[in-house]
Amino acid sequence: MEEEIKKLKEEIEQLKRINENKSDIISITAHQLRTSLSALKWIFKMFIDEDIGQLTTEQSSFIQKAYNSNERMLALVNDLLTLSHAEDASMSYNFKKVDLLYLIEQVLFDFSGETNKKEIELLFLKPEIPLPQLKCDESMIRVVIQNLIENAIKYSSKGGKVFVSLKQKDADIMISVHDTGIGIKDEDKESIFKKFYRAPNAQEKDAVGSGLGLFTTKNIVEKHKGKIWFENAQGGGTTFFVSLPIDQKI
Amino acid sequence: MKKVLIVEDDSFLQGLEAGKLKKEGYEVITASSGEEAMKKITEPDIAIILLDLILPNYDGFEILKKIKENETTKNIPVIVFSNLSEEKDVKKSQEMGATDFMVKSNFTLEELVDRISKIVK
Repeated sequence: MEEEIKKLKEEIEQLKRINENKSDIISITAHQLRTSLSALKWIFKMFIDEDIGQLTTEQSSFIQKAYNSNERMLALVNDLLTLSHAEDASMSYNFKKVDLLYLIEQVLFDFSGETNKKEIELLFLKPEIPLPQLKCDESMIRVVIQNLIENAIKYSSKGGKVFVSLKQKDADIMISVHDTGIGIKDEDKESIFKKFYRAPNAQEKDAVGSGLGLFTTKNIVEKHKGKIWFENAQGGGTTFFVSLPIDQKI
Repeated sequence: MKKVLIVEDDSFLQGLEAGKLKKEGYEVITASSGEEAMKKITEPDIAIILLDLILPNYDGFEILKKIKENETTKNIPVIVFSNLSEEKDVKKSQEMGATDFMVKSNFTLEELVDRISKIVK
């Protein structure tokens, strides 16, 4: 018995080391990729802004396509890093009590520039009664809230509205993000949380996106023993719901 | 004219950053290694330092430590400008006194200039 426990402990240590090595490789590769992609981004932007001289309409259109393509690569690198962190950190999620109201307010503040740019109204429907703190990994739950709000903004048109709400429902805390955007078509409902899946109407609306955001979000929510789902709202738009158990035994 | 010290070992990126800042009316001095940065941080009248993290000789954190320890340089704002983005790096930079942390690939040079101008105004 003791021998078996010792063997298991050794195996866990070995797995942890492999995991750390994998994280290091991803982190270094992402850094190197970003360095080249930064150079391309800045150069393309100089052409787009005609800092280096005037372009023909055709040249301008090609450069814009190259810029968008580069942005897609960057989004992919960013999302892969987040996903790698979400998956790897599962062995060492840092669970502590977090005030979700404060966390959501911080995230909303980070989005203020973007909502101003797109003239989107971002509203927070706060709970009517104080909520208990939630035992969770703060940085990971921040990613969940960020991803849902980012999607809501991305797939809304100028002048749209995004509502974030937070409330307690029985033994769970429920976060919802409602938008007045393009919605999710019936044929895409099954696939929306799959790795690398992008709905055709989403691709049409926004060229930049890796198809990893909702996959990562679901992954994190499930690591917290929570649930994520969505409903298409009447009159257009979508509402995403996340429920997280208050009393985590992790 | 405000003076910016760019600490960046990738010569191509350094050239693009310096070119943009000069065009926007800044005086630019550069360092391509940790060792060179250690010497240049004490040059007079630096308004702001743009600091990469992965560098030859000394890394960005060692340079940041030196900047914040030195009486004459400790009040110079430092923007950590790196393609690392792990939470531990962001946190460490903040704790060591960096004014801001920007992931290079997430910003255009216009956005960088905009951030610098807000800090040094």
